[in-house]
Amino acid sequence: MPPKSSSKPFTKEEELLLQDFSRNVTTKSSALFYGNAFIVSAIPIWLFWRIHMIDVYASLLPFLFVTVASTYLIAIAYKNTKFTLKHKIAVKREDAVAWDLNKKLSEDKKMSKKEKDERILWKKNEVADFEATTFSIFYNNALFLAIVIFASFYLLRSFAPSVNYIFSVGTTAGLLALLSTGSK
Amino acid sequence: MISLIHIFIVSVLFCTGYCDSCKNAEISSKSFTTQDATIVTNIAYISEFSVKCGSGSLSHAYADVEGTVVPVFETAPSTFQVSWTEEIKNARRGEIKIRLFDEDGYTALRKALRANEDISTVSPLFSVSVSHPGAFNGPWLKSEFLAVALSVVVAYLALSSRSKLLS
Repeated sequence: MPPKSSSKPFTKEEELLLQDFSRNVTTKSSALFYGNAFIVSAIPIWLFWRIHMIDVYASLLPFLFVTVASTYLIAIAYKNTKFTLKHKIAVKREDAVAWDLNKKLSEDKKMSKKEKDERILWKKNEVADFEATTFSIFYNNALFLAIVIFASFYLLRSFAPSVNYIFSVGTTAGLLALLSTGSK
Repeated sequence: MISLIHIFIVSVLFCTGYCDSCKNAEISSKSFTTQDATIVTNIAYISEFSVKCGSGSLSHAYADVEGTVVPVFETAPSTFQVSWTEEIKNARRGEIKIRLFDEDGYTALRKALRANEDISTVSPLFSVSVSHPGAFNGPWLKSEFLAVALSVVVAYLALSSRSKLLS
């Protein structure tokens, strides 16, 4: 059993700070990730149905399992990519956000330096979070669709459509989840 | 008795060869060739022609398609059809001349073939031509290639902007 922590519970600021550096995402962000992952995992069904002429009714089970697995894996990829990118983006956008906020708050003489800094920090965090979330979705979707299209048309062309579907979509989602765990 | 039969056979053969051969023939022909080669493996060439003989008649015809002897079928009285196929890769294009022979011409043709002579020296009874402009082999750029190329471009943009962000 792990030793029980006897230290005081974290303060609100500490919790916020921890959340900034943790891999966990907010519920809203998580819903966005899972929703997007589901849409992008379901798109190949259309490709296989209309272009590869897969037998839709005979392949309902593979469709279901592969879509669910791929949704999960892509959501993991989104989360990991977002985590890797967020702080890099925060550092990159820091100056611009500070400049922008300083310009806006320059007329407000009453605001203390500490409060200004806090606002800048908060804004920077928000900007980085938003950009990392959207970029992560774009990046993983682009890679996923490119690899699925390439694999299904060229690498697995000679296989039966259902085998082609399971391997191209399943492997691509797994590959993205695996690649996203790397930091570079 | 046997010699009488021989004489009879020879005279019949002589008659089919000379008495009854088609002269001053009027030919009208139409042709068909495969135009769409996207879902087939061979190109079909069909030439159908009707023969109106000035005198005599034509019962059997033989065709020489640029060096290859192919059979001719009679589809209706004095209407004949020649058809053959060629692989898409080796399919001939343009005007293809079909030289047609009657029994005599065919005999001369066989003789020339046996002697390994040039069969183009044997003069045909008449000739028709089939024009094949070439078949459609599908678009030059396949749609799946286009889809892959576009998605790879987008993926490249994603990868390059990611590496720019991480640098």
